Amino acid sequence: MKRWLYATLFIFLIVILSSCGKKAPLEDLTLALILGIDLDDKNNLVFYEINPVFSKEAKKGTESYEVKAKTIRDSRRLFDALTTGEVTAGKIQVLLVGKRVLQHEDWFPILDTVYRNPTFSMSTRVVTVDGPVSKVVVHNPEEKPQLSLHLKALIDKNYDRTRAVKGTLQELHREIYEKGMTPFISEVKKEKNIELAGISLLDNKGKYAQFLNVPESTLLLMLQNKKRHEITLTIPVLPNKDEKNIFHKNVISFAVNKVKTRIKPGYKQNKFQFNISITLTINIVERLFPEEKLNNDQLTAAIEKVLKKQIEDLIKKIQKKKIDPIGLGLYARAYQYTHYKKVENKWGEALAESDVNVSVKIDINSNGAVIQK
Amino acid sequence: MKYTQNPITFMQYIFLIHGVQVGVGLLTLPRELAEKAGTDGWIALIIGWLFSTLASLIIIQVMKNYPNGTIIDLITHYFGKWCGKIAAVIFILYYAFIGSTIFVREGLFIQFWILPQTNMVILLLLLSIPSYLIVRNNITIVGRYAELVFFMTIWMFFFYFNPLKEAHWLHLLPIIKEGWFPILKAVKTTIFSFLGFEIAFFLYPFLQQKHKASIGIVIANTLTLIVFLIVTIVAFTFYSPDEITQYKEPTINLLKIVEFKFLERLEIVYLSFYIFVISTTVLPIFFVTVFSVSQLFGKQDHSKYVGWLLLLNLVYVFFLPQSFDRNTHFQKMGEPISFLLGYAFPLCLWVYLLLYSHLKRRAIK
Repeated sequence: MKRWLYATLFIFLIVILSSCGKKAPLEDLTLALILGIDLDDKNNLVFYEINPVFSKEAKKGTESYEVKAKTIRDSRRLFDALTTGEVTAGKIQVLLVGKRVLQHEDWFPILDTVYRNPTFSMSTRVVTVDGPVSKVVVHNPEEKPQLSLHLKALIDKNYDRTRAVKGTLQELHREIYEKGMTPFISEVKKEKNIELAGISLLDNKGKYAQFLNVPESTLLLMLQNKKRHEITLTIPVLPNKDEKNIFHKNVISFAVNKVKTRIKPGYKQNKFQFNISITLTINIVERLFPEEKLNNDQLTAAIEKVLKKQIEDLIKKIQKKKIDPIGLGLYARAYQYTHYKKVENKWGEALAESDVNVSVKIDINSNGAVIQK
Repeated sequence: MKYTQNPITFMQYIFLIHGVQVGVGLLTLPRELAEKAGTDGWIALIIGWLFSTLASLIIIQVMKNYPNGTIIDLITHYFGKWCGKIAAVIFILYYAFIGSTIFVREGLFIQFWILPQTNMVILLLLLSIPSYLIVRNNITIVGRYAELVFFMTIWMFFFYFNPLKEAHWLHLLPIIKEGWFPILKAVKTTIFSFLGFEIAFFLYPFLQQKHKASIGIVIANTLTLIVFLIVTIVAFTFYSPDEITQYKEPTINLLKIVEFKFLERLEIVYLSFYIFVISTTVLPIFFVTVFSVSQLFGKQDHSKYVGWLLLLNLVYVFFLPQSFDRNTHFQKMGEPISFLLGYAFPLCLWVYLLLYSHLKRRAIK
């Protein structure tokens, strides 16, 4: 009797094991790998989606769709009406945001569902598209891997070379809400190919504020102590005397071994002061002028001078737009809490008024394997 | 004596107490601390640990007065049979309430993060079966389970070192931003996070080496403090102080960014394993509940009450739809009672027993 009771109970329990009910074979899913958001000429939101096709009959490996919808979640309804399988958002690798969207102040809340819904991945890279997103989405050259793989690899490789930021959804969320800094994400554009343009700096409301090209992006990342595997800089150290300087005989390239940025915040005469000192250990990898023109000390001084100028220009650019991608506000909060607290809601303006002193110290580690006479 | 038949070892004793302390509360702890004290919340953890350790030591001192019985035996011994019965009823109601609240919360977390389409009652039914299989046994088995789960899940906390790659230690500065007042407000939260040590009231008679009871409970509290501190500091350094309060369960969200080449959405794997960690809170509490019931009726065997307790729980969930809001409401309701039973009651009892033995000694002289 007891055995029968257990057997019945056992069968009953197996029957109600409900979580196995809804299986999802990969072929029946439409895995969105890229999601694009843009505005058309009449300021209607347009959503793009690219997904791989798992079918032998299909000639192309991917398909892309474009719909006009009210929100991201609403767009799923329309994508579902177009695709073979159920549209799944958990694997989005890259989120493309058109520059036209970023030019509006309140764009960030449209991403709400991404954070609210636990199925979204937080490591999706958010990337600005300079120009219409549609041009990037339809770009499908034969010699390249799938766009989603290509774009992600493009961002990640340049991130490793300290030229771009990953700009994941997680980081973006932090930077948007952090009062002591403003967000920044990588920017791509479509010329003949899709190329990394640099970094877009947004203001504290997420609105597009300033574009930084790739060399400037590297400087910004250096200021944040975010050196990855490699940094290479190419800068002019000699005055450009030759009128026909076809071969750029005044430049030098070096790889940065170590970079250490120290930021000391202070508060004097009702404004913040930041002393930024950067120490770089470098290896010269290319110099196009003979060594007698500049000895080591002169070279060090010249590089220091040029770098200092470039960084100062970058900081002026930032201050002019009243933004703070470096995160100087974090230092202000940590070391000048009471003063920072008074201005935290308009930190960008406070930073614009503050004094920033930059000092650069170069240490040449090696000159390479040859001596050019 | 009846308690020495199924003793628990020193290690089991530590992991039982530690297990009861670490559970669902950890999932929301960093947010709750940040809401009250910003990134100074971790200081409140240390203060909370001080209080809980103090209360734990007092409990051990109280139990030393009657080393071969639980708190219910002790009360019966000093205050008489009826007081003992009333104490048993209070403990039963308290632990049944707390146990059920945590059990339901566990189900809610699983439903939200892992199985959004599954009915709550079925989830809890499935959880009830292994619970039944363990709780119907004696405390030795529950102790072994707690020890096993501790070593089985300790590796999970190493995942929390991964987000440290992107930590911003500047968030923690300046220490004591707004003075001590917000920190003290957060202490109000942390003293409840450490609750669970009061289960020593029931574990003490089972412990083999009674002279190690005090050191054991301090170790258990300290282990808990370490776990809480690691998770809280990682959350505080990873998330901006301005955004952390937006995440309901920052402890889970933190794992969303950990990714391997072969595995994404680690938080699902983690949370599935975390069910074990929560079970070491729920199971000893259920055990104490049914054990008190058997003491109330003067029975030796508690196993037949386990089924009834779990069934009652299911019926309750079936007829009263559960939500996070309702559950949090219940949790808040339980807090003053927890405070009384975990902190105020041992202190009063200790003072009483001190006076009692003092007066008695005088009377003998």
